[in-house]
Amino acid sequence: MNNQDNLSRRRFLQLTATGLGSIYLLSQCSQPFSKWRFFTNAEARLMDAIADQIIPPDEWPGGRESGVTNFIDKQLAGPYVRYQEEYRKGLLAIQNSCETRFRKKFEELKWDEQTAFLELMEAGKMKEASWKDEFDKTFFALIRDHSMQGYYGSPRHGGNKNNVSYRMLQLDYPLIIGQNRYKS
Amino acid sequence: MENRKVNAVIVGAGAGGGVVAKELSVAGMSVVLFEQGDWISYDDHTNDELLSQRTTVLGNSCGPDDKRYRRVNVHPDGSSHIVLPSEGDYNNNAACVGSGTVTYGALAWRFMKEDFRMKSVYGHVAGSTIEDWPISYEDLEPFYEKAEWELGVAGEDDKNPFAPPRKRPQPMPPFTHNKEASLLKDAAHRLGLHPFSIPMLRNSVPYNGRPACYRMRTCIGFACPVNAKSGTHNTVIPVALQTGNCELRTQCIVSEIIVNELGAITGVTYFDKDKRKKTQLADIVILSAAAIETARLLLNSKSKFFPKGIGNENDWVGRNLQGHDYPQAFGLFKDEIYDDFGPGSSIAVCDFNHHNPGIIGGGYLKNAFIRLPYGISKVRPPGEKLWGKEHKQFQRMNFKRIAEVHGPYQQIPNFEQRIEVDPAVKDFWGIPVARLSGKTHEEDIKGCKFMAEKAEMWLKEAGAVLTWSSLGISNGVNAGQHQAGTCRMGNDPKTSVTDKWGRVHSTPNLFVADGSLHVTNGGFNPALTIMALGFRIGEYIATEWNKGNRFK
Amino acid sequence: MINKSISRKLYLLVPAILVLVLIGFSIFYTYWNSASPSKTCASCHEIESSVNILFKSAHRELACKECHGTALSNGFHSLKEKGMMVVNHAKQDFADEIKLNEDQMLEVMDNCVRCHKSEQARWLSGGHSAKYKDIFLNKKHNTTEQLNFDCLRCHGMFSEVTIKELVEPLDIKGLWKFKDSKVADKPVIPCLACHQVHQEGFAHKNPDYASPQSAFYERKSNVSKASFYNRQDQTHVLAEDLPKLKLWEGERPVKVSDDPLMRNCIQCHAPAAHHQAGTSDDRTPRGVHEGISCLACHDPHSNDARRSCIKCHPAISNCKLDVTRMNTSYADAKSANNIHWVACSNCHKVKKPGME
Repeated sequence: MNNQDNLSRRRFLQLTATGLGSIYLLSQCSQPFSKWRFFTNAEARLMDAIADQIIPPDEWPGGRESGVTNFIDKQLAGPYVRYQEEYRKGLLAIQNSCETRFRKKFEELKWDEQTAFLELMEAGKMKEASWKDEFDKTFFALIRDHSMQGYYGSPRHGGNKNNVSYRMLQLDYPLIIGQNRYKS
Repeated sequence: MENRKVNAVIVGAGAGGGVVAKELSVAGMSVVLFEQGDWISYDDHTNDELLSQRTTVLGNSCGPDDKRYRRVNVHPDGSSHIVLPSEGDYNNNAACVGSGTVTYGALAWRFMKEDFRMKSVYGHVAGSTIEDWPISYEDLEPFYEKAEWELGVAGEDDKNPFAPPRKRPQPMPPFTHNKEASLLKDAAHRLGLHPFSIPMLRNSVPYNGRPACYRMRTCIGFACPVNAKSGTHNTVIPVALQTGNCELRTQCIVSEIIVNELGAITGVTYFDKDKRKKTQLADIVILSAAAIETARLLLNSKSKFFPKGIGNENDWVGRNLQGHDYPQAFGLFKDEIYDDFGPGSSIAVCDFNHHNPGIIGGGYLKNAFIRLPYGISKVRPPGEKLWGKEHKQFQRMNFKRIAEVHGPYQQIPNFEQRIEVDPAVKDFWGIPVARLSGKTHEEDIKGCKFMAEKAEMWLKEAGAVLTWSSLGISNGVNAGQHQAGTCRMGNDPKTSVTDKWGRVHSTPNLFVADGSLHVTNGGFNPALTIMALGFRIGEYIATEWNKGNRFK
Repeated sequence: MINKSISRKLYLLVPAILVLVLIGFSIFYTYWNSASPSKTCASCHEIESSVNILFKSAHRELACKECHGTALSNGFHSLKEKGMMVVNHAKQDFADEIKLNEDQMLEVMDNCVRCHKSEQARWLSGGHSAKYKDIFLNKKHNTTEQLNFDCLRCHGMFSEVTIKELVEPLDIKGLWKFKDSKVADKPVIPCLACHQVHQEGFAHKNPDYASPQSAFYERKSNVSKASFYNRQDQTHVLAEDLPKLKLWEGERPVKVSDDPLMRNCIQCHAPAAHHQAGTSDDRTPRGVHEGISCLACHDPHSNDARRSCIKCHPAISNCKLDVTRMNTSYADAKSANNIHWVACSNCHKVKKPGME
């Protein structure tokens, strides 16, 4: 490790820049930070509650713990960018409807109340104006489908944490497979 | 820099184009083979269920991408919307060297004799353009054989009494069955059906310098990690490139066929990978871009000589678009039938392909490829919950207890299921996009019901305690990866686009060599037929060329 | 005149500024390398979760630099990378998956072996210390094995390039060569192929001598955990989360050990897809050894299994047999009785009633 003592001028400048950069960074980061790419912290809490309703925890982790919200958040900042508006509008509409009906947030409702609420959405029976043109139905179908993708899809997209669904289904992952051509 | 003029330009390096490129370049002709995509490998997306060619929710693993490509879908009420390649109704084919043959299930079917003579066998059908092919099975047989041996097929046609006659067996032994397929095989025998191992363009033993399939879970929709699946990308295209006569130009979008001031076709214009517009002159132009894109290219090539697009004098280009309906049945078993011996889809019966009372055509039935967890999350018996606790428990209990039997139903072609070019919507390169409209012929419903019932019957006999089915008919355009029919072959220029050699009637040097030529699409996956047509057309062009015919 | 005085001042000023900056930087650098990670490295949100796991790991006492080195010790590449992180962060362009590249991983490995010398020595003495050249420049391989993606699943799982970019030609006409010869001497199965430092674990500590029994009863299960690096997803999978092998001998399910560590072995020493015993590279114990773990005989680092028999077959055992001298592949490589699945009936003909 001797060569680290021979600081070239160029490297010195690079180091200084990095150091100053880091200080800048630290000052930036003392501000509250959302770890989400698209969701606000409040939206993410709601998403977590919905994800657990769609894939409830039992002997195996549910949607929230397995990273469904993270999956959807990541896709909304990527291939699902076209659904951003729908999510923003839909999640707000859910909270507004909960506020009108229960004076509570969705995630504060009792489990069965949450289920009943989502069942109404699924059936297209929401009355509020924000759900017109069957938006309740289509938005629920969208979240449901995306949650299933997050839970049952490949872990590389931010969901299915620790291969949870593969283990639950007793599906070997990674595959245990030899190539059958080790001939001595 | 100006491109050197070549003997032949081929548009599309898929099942048809790859074969033609090899035939021409081996015969000494200079060839430029255009491909819109690039070489791809398993490493890029491995076996990611959400980003493949089969389940495309997060995109097509082998292209086309959502950023640059568009199509327009017309609804039955006349309204329309723009579709992205990752959406199902785009009717996508892979955009890469080898195209669909990289990621297909690799089923290697020969069409049956009846499939070439649909009108003679079934007569005229109201509202349909059902017709006989201008060539017979016998005309194509030698080229099926060529495709089987040059690319590599495993199978046991001798066990299929409905298989059309062949001179030479398939080159590789058949694939063995997993637990599910073995149950279905025994059940088929009990029902008096005639099960056999599905012919596959996949190595059951090492073949042509590539290893045998090692039977992993995932296959269809993915590239092969060990290169055991035979596509044009690892067989005929490398042979073509090795001759030194063929140049493969990837990431190039051919936008138009060039027509000179005398009305003769002299080459194509295209955008290279940096979106620079270029021309490639050639004596012969061959279109192998698959049914939708080949028709789009012809329709986009308008000039004073061809005001409605090349070959479209009688409004037949883009008509008769066909794919396959996919009647399917699921069976729930008491015991686990899933043993993870991949990739599934190994047992089939051809008992229902033809001569079913009251049904036009038909199709074969087979067990499906292994369905992955997200796929199964959507498979539920009618009335079962689609989310929540019960849904999760069902998934856990039954993931290894569900079998699926399905098959491609031979669509009755109709004039109104078609592609046009959209008057307004353009893609990234400024080229008007394909506009898809129409729907399946009503006869299909009867045929699909019949097949779905047979599929349920087969599953019940195999021991399923609960079965349910769907017709697998789309509400709108149904083309998919089996897309065909848009440049029909025929002897009468008034009711077809090309002659029996795939040459566009109104031109001497423009050919089509892909599924667009299919008059009818058989009750089978069309890949081997497209390859056989490629060999036949390629051999014809090369032979004529070497006799001195310059197609002027 | 004025110019002269300015330039004279500059002669003093420039070194003075340089010295000040150097002092400032030294203070910063010293602080950075000594402060708690939560105030330094982990203040980057991208690696916050990694650091949090480290705090729960067996290596919780170590500072980041012990394994990852300092900004200076890792050379220009790492500096540039960190600089880019700052730039990207400022642009709000968050990379949420920061991975070590192969060279960084090998640098970490150099730091592993500073403490784990004995493990390193054993690893070096066994087959798992093979280098790229041992695998890919092997003449026999070159004419019998078809190169493909899957090779790198177990040999070279950290390779940043695909097999196509690593070796040519991709055929079995041989001889292969590396496209970039620098790779030749890198190990194909480095420490991090089977180990993951950032995972939950227990720190070693002295027993409570006031109650000597605690040395046994209060000791946390301190089995070192293994983790398989899954190249396909570029992520480690904890051995206990890996699938347990289901193996068949014909129709009979073979009893396979529950030892999670063995699941790591099975990932590469795997049977063919139908999971029939003895196919492909399967060496799961059967016969007299059915149900025991690979690790019952093999040392995990050297893979050595010599002298392992004694653990279960002492010379003073009831049977009084010296199992090491029996006709098995343990005693003789040419023996037909593979030690992995030798059964009593291989040597002792079983007489069935009525057979006489």
